[in-house]
Amino acid sequence: MTIAPDQVDVPDVDELDATVRPWQVVVLNDPVNLMSYVVWVFRKLFGHPETEATRLMLQVHHEGRAIVSSGPLEKAELDCHRLHHHGLWATLEKT
Amino acid sequence: MTGPFVVTDGGIRLSVGADEQGMLFSLPTLLQSGDDAGGRLDYTPHPDDPAADAEYRELIGDDLAHLRRQDRDSFNDLVAGEPGSPEALEAFMRVVGEARLVLAGRLGIEDDGWEAEADMRSDPELALLGWLGYLQDAAVGVLSELL
Repeated sequence: MTIAPDQVDVPDVDELDATVRPWQVVVLNDPVNLMSYVVWVFRKLFGHPETEATRLMLQVHHEGRAIVSSGPLEKAELDCHRLHHHGLWATLEKT
Repeated sequence: MTGPFVVTDGGIRLSVGADEQGMLFSLPTLLQSGDDAGGRLDYTPHPDDPAADAEYRELIGDDLAHLRRQDRDSFNDLVAGEPGSPEALEAFMRVVGEARLVLAGRLGIEDDGWEAEADMRSDPELALLGWLGYLQDAAVGVLSELL
């Protein structure tokens, strides 16, 4: 337990937004990984149903990229790391 | 006709001929050669922010390299004929995928649609790329049943 302070500095709204704004994990298209494998990776890592995993895979294939997860930096970096372990080309972007 | 994997109560076994087995045993050496044409295995989550990238690499350390070494151990066991768990087959699938990325880099494959023009009979590395794709797809089939 702690005592409430008498006075606090109110954070600047822009500064706060920059701190809590989530990061997006972006998977980029590559010409080598199999479509079936990419669908399996999305299902395995993010728990997507097959239809959603297939939709994301096709978005990567046709549009060159898709956002597959988002969250605080630590979570986004972990997701990115897991994708890299599976041989997928993934980067992070701030929303 | 049976696929390259046999699933039994005792685990998942790879079922390939001796020549194919020898080819698979050579893959970890291919991956250790450092011949990552195109840098496809050297990923960065922050390609436009060197400071953030350096921080990430410090945080992750050599974890990715460690995971890849573990994958290759599981891969070798499965190729040797030992029954493996689904996790071992996942590791096998990742190693095959890494080898495909390296081979594709060597072959200069950069765009979708390369398969349509590929003459796999004329280039051993193209043939290997295609055969590894067949193996990886078969592994996906087995593992998808378990999700």
